[in-house]
Amino acid sequence: MLKRQKAWGRGDTLLLILIAGFIAFLGYRIFFSLEYRWNWQIIPQYLMRHDASRGWVPNLLLEGLLTTVRLSLWSLLLALPLGIFIGLLRTGHSLLSRLLGGTYVALLRNLPPLVLILIFYYFVSDQLLPQLEIGDQVRGLPKSLQHFTAVLLAPADQLEAFIAAVVTLALFEGAYIAEIVRAGINSLDRGQWDAGLALGMRRWQQLRHIILPQAFQRMIPALAGQAISTIKDSAIVAVISIQELTFQGMELMAATYLTFEVWITVTILYFLLTYSCSWLAGKLEKRLSLKY
Amino acid sequence: MLRRTSLCLILLIAFVIPVFAADLRQDLAQASSLEQVITKNRLRVGFSTFVPWAMKDKTGDYTGFEIEVARRLAEDIGVEIEFVPTKWSGIIPALLTGKFDVIIGGMGITPERNLKVNFSDPYEYSGMSLVANRQLAGNLSSLEAFNNPQLTVVARIGTTAAEAAKKYLPEAQLRLFDDEGQALQEVLNERAAAMISSQPFPEFQSLKYQDKLYLPLSGETFTREPIGFAVRKGDPDFLNFLNNWIQVRSADGWLQERYRYWFTTQDWKDQVE
Repeated sequence: MLKRQKAWGRGDTLLLILIAGFIAFLGYRIFFSLEYRWNWQIIPQYLMRHDASRGWVPNLLLEGLLTTVRLSLWSLLLALPLGIFIGLLRTGHSLLSRLLGGTYVALLRNLPPLVLILIFYYFVSDQLLPQLEIGDQVRGLPKSLQHFTAVLLAPADQLEAFIAAVVTLALFEGAYIAEIVRAGINSLDRGQWDAGLALGMRRWQQLRHIILPQAFQRMIPALAGQAISTIKDSAIVAVISIQELTFQGMELMAATYLTFEVWITVTILYFLLTYSCSWLAGKLEKRLSLKY
Repeated sequence: MLRRTSLCLILLIAFVIPVFAADLRQDLAQASSLEQVITKNRLRVGFSTFVPWAMKDKTGDYTGFEIEVARRLAEDIGVEIEFVPTKWSGIIPALLTGKFDVIIGGMGITPERNLKVNFSDPYEYSGMSLVANRQLAGNLSSLEAFNNPQLTVVARIGTTAAEAAKKYLPEAQLRLFDDEGQALQEVLNERAAAMISSQPFPEFQSLKYQDKLYLPLSGETFTREPIGFAVRKGDPDFLNFLNNWIQVRSADGWLQERYRYWFTTQDWKDQVE
């Protein structure tokens, strides 16, 4: 392993001053020489607002953030099993399964997510979802249950679009997860499989008892990265008018023309969300590395 | 014998065709968006944020001229209203694929759009105007003066403002943005000389940034655009209802009164900020 430098050198100080200077220069440019009238004091009310009957409630931007969280969580929950399944297909024995898995990954990974979202929303989901009449089914439920689905998923009037978005996100995140799973399985030494075979295990048993427990541990950092990536990617569903953070930000900008204040606030909210997820992922990684 | 057979045939056809026609009429009425709206007890309205046509207020509810029109329309049909905020660039495909029943979003009636959707009679008129940067276009005071390859003009993508820019200022460099705020920022930052947009946007902005912006046409509009409700094709019942609703609500002065409130006053400002 390379030796890690411990002492703080003079060159480091110089470099740090340069970087700080550059950031200060940028900040100066943005705040003083850009022709823009800053108006920060009206931003907080879009985060939280005081309601006469319900007290403090989240407003536009925080509601958007909550929708982003819901969207990412559900997409991940769908993408994980899908990714694992496709990953197993890709490493399977049968030619057909490898071809199917390969086609799926090749198709989904080589298309821009934005194009996929639009295609899925306007063409595919339109053929499938309206027939199910999910929105109407939920409207038929008692009020308490409706409230429950609104908190867990989305209000009845946005449910169909929300499901289309979750499914699309899950489909293409699944393709990336499939590659992580394949890489994880392939990273194990051939001998691990052979050992299983020598014990008389079938393929499924080898996977369950030997391969996957080791592979999963290796996959954790990449999977955590993919989870954070899902949160960031969820911003593109703003184009199909899912009312998540980016969409709410854009709506607010269109209404108030406070382009910079809103984008900066949205950036901070995203960072807080993704950074806390990275921190959690780091903790998880440490704990799991102790286990095996 | 032959004659009798043909007589029978003719009689048969004569009786059967009206039956088919009646069925067809019934099917058409059943399939109408209006019928769907009533059975489902909700009118789904597509729109895009566009001050002061439609926007979010401080409490997260929608407000604006079009929002009031939509609420009143739903009230008059006697159903609940459901707002579906949609990006302007994708609003027609969203209507065609049934994400909502009608676009009430200040959509200008144009022949191109009319090939894809049906429009009601106009219920208001809007017009384009210019707002320009004092530094870059200080002495220009006519529309023709902006038709100059040296100058950059901005507008919102997919709007009739973008069409107007192409038509009236073909020489100027045109750059399109996703929303009004971004386009205006280009003018404020002196990267574009002028912005084309529907009144009253140019006027409100020139008041807000008096030292930077001015109105080259002193607030005059250079186009007059009819604004209508957009619905899917092949639905005469709904179109008939909308047209007559507009007649009734202009006859009693309600449409004009609300139009004055939203477009000539700024009394609604504190609802939003």
